Amino acid sequence: MLISRRKQRLLTFITYAVLVGFAFYCLFPFLWMFATSLKPDTEIRTLNPSFFISKPTLKHFDNVLNGSAFITFFKNSVFIAAVTTAASLMISIFAGYALSRFIRFKGVKAFSVAMLLSQMIPGVLLLIPLYLVMKNMNLINTYWSLILAYTTFTVPLCTFMMKGFFDTIPYEMEESAEIDGCSRVGIIFRILLPVSLPSLVATSLFAFLNAWNEFMFGFVFINDEAHRTLTPGVSLFKGLYQTDWGSMMAASVLSVLPIVIIFVFMQRFLIEGMTAGAVKG
Amino acid sequence: MTLRERRLRTAAYWFVLPAALFFILLNAYPLITVLWDSIHFKNLLNKSLSGFSGLSNFKEVIHNEYFAKALWNTVVWTVLSVAGEYAMGLVSAVALNQQVRGRSLFRAIIIIPWVVPIVIAGMTWTWMLTPDYGIINLWLTKLGIIDKPYYWLGELDTALLTVVFVNIWRSFPFYTISLLASLQSVSRDMLEAAAIDGAGVRTRFFRIVMPQLKIVSLTVIFIHVIWTAINFDFIWVMTEGGPLYASETLPIMIYRYAMESYNFGNASALASMMLGFMICGFILYYLFSQRKSRT
Repeated sequence: MLISRRKQRLLTFITYAVLVGFAFYCLFPFLWMFATSLKPDTEIRTLNPSFFISKPTLKHFDNVLNGSAFITFFKNSVFIAAVTTAASLMISIFAGYALSRFIRFKGVKAFSVAMLLSQMIPGVLLLIPLYLVMKNMNLINTYWSLILAYTTFTVPLCTFMMKGFFDTIPYEMEESAEIDGCSRVGIIFRILLPVSLPSLVATSLFAFLNAWNEFMFGFVFINDEAHRTLTPGVSLFKGLYQTDWGSMMAASVLSVLPIVIIFVFMQRFLIEGMTAGAVKG
Repeated sequence: MTLRERRLRTAAYWFVLPAALFFILLNAYPLITVLWDSIHFKNLLNKSLSGFSGLSNFKEVIHNEYFAKALWNTVVWTVLSVAGEYAMGLVSAVALNQQVRGRSLFRAIIIIPWVVPIVIAGMTWTWMLTPDYGIINLWLTKLGIIDKPYYWLGELDTALLTVVFVNIWRSFPFYTISLLASLQSVSRDMLEAAAIDGAGVRTRFFRIVMPQLKIVSLTVIFIHVIWTAINFDFIWVMTEGGPLYASETLPIMIYRYAMESYNFGNASALASMMLGFMICGFILYYLFSQRKSRT
């Protein structure tokens, strides 16, 4: 074909070598995290660590689950991420629909520019005023502060993703429904959403991941244990248990777990979403 | 405008209303507040001083003894991270674009770092990099690269570079996926035609494949320059800007002004400056991409 067979074989070999190298590079920290979380302290503090664990223990997991507020953090994160996902999805379905079908109206056009701009504004620059807004509304140390902040920063991307998906659906489908007397909202829910289910999954995955992984706002807006989310919670373990890496890694395993599960099942959607996001900028 | 058109317009405005409200209340209003506060005295610890301040906030920030250092660190952090990520992303995307078995498995594995929270990534690497029992130091000493365990995150000259390394690890998959998508759309016919004309592998790659990656590359790099320059999490989690401000960047400085010394005026001035840098970057990107699309 394009190159000689010997060259082809060499190229295949190099490709495999590169891919295996990357796979090792990407996976090793997780394997090490997992191994550490199961090791007793004597095997963690050794100059000859190995993957082989002679006395595996669940002590660190027990310590994290029963001896710390980890479960509270976990529940808070699930709640906040779920509400954020639902809210951003709801908002961006309508906004995305308007951007896709009604861009001819001046107001919608202006709105699309606003969304583009807000996608560019980084959270850290708005940290201070957002903190003050939350403080004035007495929302510091509540779930709502985070839900509002996360929704604000997820909506633009989700809107553009939904717009992209709606763009691929022919308008004729809606027209026939309209003639049959279906309302605009009815058209979205009965005609468009059922055919764009994979895209809805991709969009909600993004919203969920964003909310689950966010650190800065969670760190700044929440100061009490009862409302703290997972990411700042785990980072504060470092201060509490200065050297307890076993528990630290057990907490990390537990916080990565839901994401890995989501990822295994929905990899395809995630990639679709990443590509769409990259193209839209 | 027909009646139907008018009805549609009303519907359209209702549809964008919630998103627009979020934008106005939690994006536009705070942004204006930042600009407003940057030219006013605003210190939660010293309320006696208030009112218009002119440019004194900006002056104070620039004369902060660590400002130049933080600015330089931000540049180093951004440039090295993005360059490293792009190189890794390109290599992995090209490898994933070959016809080999297990491609989708490799692709799945390569994306994993991108999905985990930055905090977890930072913590796990911090543990692997600890001087006393960290696996990386043990490996490096065993391989004879270093004599004795080195405190990568705690020494002045390596702290920032180490965080850059970890940042590359976590962020490069995004490049892989974006570049892979456009690699797959490179026309095979064209490559074959070039091969028949006698173009070698290298020529084909640099003359045919790379030019087609230009637009995606430009976009991905631009997004990441912004995302990296404003990133707070990584550095905060791994070094908190230390040791001795060796890894302090502008976002960390904003946080310190705001949440440690409660000087919101100075913090806003710094944020406005960063906004200015960003707008400059955006204009450059715009001009650059305009020129690219014309040629």
